[in-house]
Parts: sequence; C-alpha cells; structure tokens
Amino acid sequence: MQKSSTTSKILLDFDPEAANLLPALKKINVAFRYISEVDAEKVAEYFELPLAKVYETASFYDLLETKKPAILEIEVCSGGDCTLGESAGIIKEIENRYRIKTGDEFNPKVRLKKISCLGRCSEGPIMIVNGKVYEKMTASGVHKILGEWG
Amino acid sequence: MRNPKIITEHWGKIDPLKIEDYLNVGGYAALKKFIAKMDPQKALDEVKISGLSGKGGAGFLTGAKWEIVAKQKGEKYFICNLDESEPGTYKDRLIAENNPQILLEGIILAALTVGAKKSYIYLNGNFEKAREILERAIEQAKENKFLGSKILGSKYLLEIEIFSGAGAYICGEETALINSIEGNRGEPKIRPPYPTEAGLFGKPTVVNNAETIANVPWIIQNGGGRYSECATKLFVLGGAVKKRGVAEAPIGTTMKKAIEELGGGMQRGKDFWFAQVGGAAGRLYLEKELDAPITGSGAILVVDKTANLYDLLLSWTGFFRRESCGKCVPCREGTFRLNEIVERLADGEISDRDKEAMLDILWTLENTTFCPLGKFAATAVRDAVDKLGVVSTNYE
Repeated sequence: MQKSSTTSKILLDFDPEAANLLPALKKINVAFRYISEVDAEKVAEYFELPLAKVYETASFYDLLETKKPAILEIEVCSGGDCTLGESAGIIKEIENRYRIKTGDEFNPKVRLKKISCLGRCSEGPIMIVNGKVYEKMTASGVHKILGEWG
Repeated sequence: MRNPKIITEHWGKIDPLKIEDYLNVGGYAALKKFIAKMDPQKALDEVKISGLSGKGGAGFLTGAKWEIVAKQKGEKYFICNLDESEPGTYKDRLIAENNPQILLEGIILAALTVGAKKSYIYLNGNFEKAREILERAIEQAKENKFLGSKILGSKYLLEIEIFSGAGAYICGEETALINSIEGNRGEPKIRPPYPTEAGLFGKPTVVNNAETIANVPWIIQNGGGRYSECATKLFVLGGAVKKRGVAEAPIGTTMKKAIEELGGGMQRGKDFWFAQVGGAAGRLYLEKELDAPITGSGAILVVDKTANLYDLLLSWTGFFRRESCGKCVPCREGTFRLNEIVERLADGEISDRDKEAMLDILWTLENTTFCPLGKFAATAVRDAVDKLGVVSTNYE
C-alpha cells in the first residue's frame, strides 16, 4: 500500500487525456483501496471533466470502488467451473462464520462478494481476501485462511 | 493430413520472458518475409484466402474486416482484444503467458497490413501476470527493431500499448471496449457506424481476438491456402473431465471427441449429464447431441450428474445480473428479475406466476436487448428449461 503517495502525485504520472482516465482511476484505487469523493474531485479537476463524468466511469467497473471498503473484503468466484467445485458451499460457510449475507454493504468490518470468472478455472475454486488470491479452496478450508486474517 | 500445432507448438518449451527463445524456433520469420517480399495487399490476400475467422465467438471473417479498414486513408487503429471475461475461458491469457511474442508478431503483421501506426492490447484487468510478460515482450521486440520506427530498416512504423481493463465482461464487445479506452463507461455503442468506419477516437479501427491474431504469423509464413486446409482452434476444457485446461485441435472437432480425447474422458465415478459450450453464455448439450462440432469461443464445461443445477443457474443468472451494463431496460431489469426468480426456484418457493414471468423475461432478453449480452443471458436458462425441464408450466 503506497500510503505516502498522494492523489495529486499519482495524477502527475498521466497526461490529462481521455485514454488515461481509467488507468489513473485504477492507480488511485490500488493506492487507497477506493476512489473517495475528494479524490474524484481532484481527478475531475486534473482531467478538466465534470465530477459526474468521473463518477460515471469510476462506478462502472468491478475493479474500481467508489465506496469505502470494509476491513476484510472477501470475494468468491461464482463462475461455472468454481460452482461445480464447491464455491456455493464456500460462500455459505463464510456467511455463517461472520453472520453476513453475500452482497450486503453495511458491515464496516467484513463484506462478502460473489465475483465473475478470473480465468483461473483449472485452479479453482478461487477465493480472494483483500486482494490476495487463494486457489483450490474447499468449504472446510476457509476457516484456517480467514483465521489468519483475524 | 496431421494438423500442425499453430499456436501451442512451443508452449512450455520457450521462456516467455526471452525473445531469443522465440527467435530460435523461427519466430519473426513471417515479419521478415513480409518486409522483404510482401506488401500489405499481398498479406491481406493471404489472410482472405486462409478463411481465418474471429476466434472470440462471433466468427466474422478476419480478411473482410481488415479490407474495410485497409481501404481507408488516414489515421487508423488496431486493437488486440485480450479482455477474455467469458467464464470458463482462458485460452487468450495462456497465449500471452506462454508465447507473448507470437501474439506481438501477429499484431505487428496485422497492423502493418491494415495501415495502423498505433495498436492497443486491451488486456483483462485481472491478468497481472500476463501484463508483466507482455510489457517485457514489447520492450524486447523494440530492442530487436520489430517495433518502433523503421521496423527492420523498412518504412513501416508501429507502437503497441497495453491498455489494462478494470473488470467488465461487456468490454469484450468491441464498441464497449472502445468506449472503455476512451475513458467512458464500457457500454456498447449503436451500430452503424461500425468500428471499421468510426472506431477508437472516431478513426477506422480493427478489433481482433488474441487467438485470431496469433494465427497470422503462420498464415504469412506458410500461405493462406495451407492454413485453410489445417486450421486449428483452442479449446478450454473444464468441469468433470480428467484433463482440464487448454488444448489445440482442428476446427470442427466434435464435442464428443473433445471430451474423450482432449479432456481424457470423464473423471472416475462421474456420469455425463450435459455440457455447456461457450462459457456462461453457452448452450447446453445432452449426451445425444455431442456429435456436433464445437462453435463459439471454444470453452466446454462438462457437468456430471452429481452437480447441483440450481447452483449453476444461480451462477449464470448472477453473472449476467452483475455484468449487465444497465444501458437498456430489457437487459438491466431482465437479468435482475431472472436471477431473483432463480433464487426463489433454488429455495423451492417458485410460484406459477414466477414460471410465467420467467418465460416472458427469457423471450424479452432473446428479442429486445440492445447488444448480444441480453441474448447470452437467456441462452443457458432457456436450454435448462427446454432440455432439462427446470420449470414445467401449465401454460400454453
């Protein structure tokens, strides 16, 4: 995590052209885990675009977040191959462990999301915790890994 | 005649980080041939003779697409589509990770043929490893004068840039992909104008799938006529087969042959139920239908009788509910409601009204959406209804 770099510094790496908007937003998202309203305003100013236009793009893509993420962000692949594995069981196990529902966004500590296929089907089922990818998951195996994350 | 391995020949044998390895197995011979003995028109003719068609699923003739752009003057773009977000499909990622230079050589040949001086690789945002490999490959190609100005001392010039996506299935659709590079939401645009006339930044643009492009060096090297006799396709096998992964086989390979020979047959103790061909957007095939050739992107998910069909239905409908871009109402609402009904179905709470609504929604998705994503969302569920009898209704 690049705590030291500020949004303004990140933006200086990019020429303010249309083709750089998405790459710039991605870089900010990697640095701060999401694009806050303040950051979006800075981007809008730098690219000379309306704030709405920046949000329009930022809110569209799966790899960009416009809401502050939870401390623990868990993602489970729900593609066909992972589903034929145990991904449905893995999701139930995680829901029970934290007493949460997939897709609920109000818990600031932990959130669980179903995600689309990452193309790693032969290594599935896939689980991602705060960006770290775990392959060949099993329903019973989730507790050990999530225990490590506290 | 035994089919050659056109794309996977050197996988695992060459180091993807070393251009020397690719050169040692005859890499860039096609580009050298193009520069020394051919011109764009000759290369275009070879590709047209080859009958090469889009390997991403749509199957449009590559030569025809190139010709439209090659005829136009002025600034043009060539885009390699490596978004590959179709669930269960990862052949293009493996091309980039195992032999990035064959892809670059193909892009260079294609771009010079259509007259583009700038090319983008639109890479799936999740493919971090492929991005690192491709960045390195581009550097090495530049050092060897295969890229940049005065390619191999000729008048040709080309720049290739990687544009990393940000996770959106719809960006595999070419107009949505173009919108995404332009910094917009990745929503499809109305056609015409087609990208070949007004594409990226309003300029004529060719968008080709990565697998399609990887065939180009072989075609230039060996001629379009030979290619048309021995063309191959990459297939991705998943689910209950012994050998899961990517395999290269002749075009027209049947599902049965793919499952038995490429996939090594069913896993021990598992009985075939149905196969889904073409990712989440793919049709379902029962055992008696397996003699047909594989069409579309080439992904085959083999489902055995122990599988939970409701989980799969939730997987398909959930996917399209998430990935619908929201531009048109039938798709945005249809995918959402279809997923809701499937959730009730899985919980055993489906009502007669739901069953009727489900058939209505399927019809609407199939017939009224702005882009093909809506149709895709209905395909598998429609087949589950028709062939597997997921809901049986009393309505006429």
